[in-house]
Amino acid sequence: MMRFTDLKREANFVFGHRQIKLTLLVVFLLSVVSLWSGYAEMQEQQATIERLLEKDQIEREAVITQQSNFGMVAYYAFHLTYAPPSPLAFAAVGERDVFPWKHRIRMLALEGQIYESDTDNPELAFLGRFDFAFVTSILLPLFIILLLYDLKAKEREARRFDLLNVTARNAHAIWTSRVLVTLVPLALVTLTPFVVFGLANGAPVLSILTVCAIVIGNIAIWSAIVLVIGTAKRFANFSATHLASVMLGVWLVTTVIVPVTAHTVINSVIETPEGGDIVLTQREAVNSAWDKPVEDTWRAFIATHPQWADYTEFDPERDSSFNWKWYYAFQQVGDQTASELSRGFQASTLQKDTIASYVALFSPSLLTQRLLSSAADTDVEAMVSYENDVRAFHKSLRKFYYYHLFKDPEFSQESLKALPQFTPSTDTSHNNRSGKKE
Amino acid sequence: MQINSVICANALTVRVDDRTLLDNLNFSVGKGEVFALLGGNGAGKSTTLKTFLGLMKASSGSATVLGHNATTYPNDVQKSVAYLPESVTLYGHLSGLENIRYFLSVAGVAKSDDDIFAALRKVALQEDSWHKALSNYSKGMRQKTAIALALLRNAPVLFLDEPTSGLDPAAIDEFNALVSELAANGATIFMVTHDVYGACQVAHRIVLLSNGILTGSFERIGDAPIDTEAVHAAFAGRKA
Repeated sequence: MMRFTDLKREANFVFGHRQIKLTLLVVFLLSVVSLWSGYAEMQEQQATIERLLEKDQIEREAVITQQSNFGMVAYYAFHLTYAPPSPLAFAAVGERDVFPWKHRIRMLALEGQIYESDTDNPELAFLGRFDFAFVTSILLPLFIILLLYDLKAKEREARRFDLLNVTARNAHAIWTSRVLVTLVPLALVTLTPFVVFGLANGAPVLSILTVCAIVIGNIAIWSAIVLVIGTAKRFANFSATHLASVMLGVWLVTTVIVPVTAHTVINSVIETPEGGDIVLTQREAVNSAWDKPVEDTWRAFIATHPQWADYTEFDPERDSSFNWKWYYAFQQVGDQTASELSRGFQASTLQKDTIASYVALFSPSLLTQRLLSSAADTDVEAMVSYENDVRAFHKSLRKFYYYHLFKDPEFSQESLKALPQFTPSTDTSHNNRSGKKE
Repeated sequence: MQINSVICANALTVRVDDRTLLDNLNFSVGKGEVFALLGGNGAGKSTTLKTFLGLMKASSGSATVLGHNATTYPNDVQKSVAYLPESVTLYGHLSGLENIRYFLSVAGVAKSDDDIFAALRKVALQEDSWHKALSNYSKGMRQKTAIALALLRNAPVLFLDEPTSGLDPAAIDEFNALVSELAANGATIFMVTHDVYGACQVAHRIVLLSNGILTGSFERIGDAPIDTEAVHAAFAGRKA
């Protein structure tokens, strides 16, 4: 049984090596720099949102005061939608690097506004930003290998192994103590800066503890891998250098080859509509409406909005050949035409993400990164949830304007005070991944 | 010398894969006896030593130390023995004193600094070297440090692996004198060596080992060393 004296002795012993202290210092610096990098990025995103919010309000008010009918207001008034960074997003930037986290939208067809910038199936492209998640999931295993690869092999090569085993009151206690006094400081230098950043950024304590548990879990998994290889009978005659090669091979396979191969296979197997196709389909539907009989547009529109079936008549004196009701109806029909592609895109993205979650079971690093992104609300689900929030908001805009366009109440600035305002979702449980709000 | 059996090989056989490394060894070593197992390279000396230390397992027969079977109860054996490996590679970045403190702690043995100083003086390790890093020690100095460690553990049985290999003649004489003194004080010493002369000087009994089989035995009669010529002739003849 291991005693406190074993830990104390091995702590003194391990920290007698300058290499250990240097390694821990490097990990500490990497942790701090990665956190600072993520923090700076999130601060910038937050500042961008605040700057846009301020201008958004001013610009919309200017548009409203200059217009004299609801159709013109709907056409010129933009609305900022955004997914603010969560308090832990600085630790795992995740999909915020790939998916859009802000859109300025208006009453026109929505899908084109969402997919103007195509996304490149990001769920497995993890070797990206240098953030805390990158350090803990990709780099930390390398430091664990560096610290533990020669735990026993070094003693064997120095011919001390037998002496230690024969001399020790409990040989097992030596190795266990050495592992513990190496890994606990490693976890501390990694996590202490994170906890400080987390508390300073106002992250909930439970979320901070969750991230700590994920990182400790990753350290435990990689330590187990290293120790199993280091003590396996199959590798008993391997030198420390050869053992390190085997361990690095395992790291390379599980951290790089498995995810990259899976990424390629998943993308080739799961057919995904291109974002550009969605934009093109929607725009073609909208543009062709100008040349189609008006009745075609109304038929398609009324099929989904039967409540306005009795309000499609034009006012010939006022509207001449153009009418805002019809204009926004064919914008709506444009979205309806692209909706199948759009749903397919989102379903494929989520399906890929689900498959990637199974692949992650074979890659501790990928699993760690996914869990960290999930804890920080920067994963695919969070970004899809934001996308659906945008759709839900756009739907409320349409509801507001359809009433004013079809019922045709008298235009007044007062009535525009009820214009819907986008409120970012604070739901962190990804309940909106399938767009249920719509 | 007393005749109580401290170390005992009873039909000891060790096989690894298809190779028989030790074949039906039978001998016993009494309390206070210096026992030398003599053999050439690959004779099976280190295998015998490792089997008694519980680092290798007997395939059949038994290797016992103080009544403990080294194969089935290696921890019990290891608690009561001290081991001096062929190449004493303690930790080079620690001083001799720090190495002793570290290994005593590993062994769970509490000793005062005075006890440690006394042991270092007993093995004649120069005091000015006690605080120097072991990487600066000669092989003889490292050997002395390891012997001091063995003394401090008060182990009743010492296993020595090629203890005089690489030592200069003066150091060998010092070492032999120390071994004799330990034996006189009741320690049982089991050494494996290919140094015929050294073994004859210090051992009460020499057993020849070749290809895992015992091939001869020489015993000291009275205080006179074992006849080097006779052992050498038997050793050389067996090797030839």
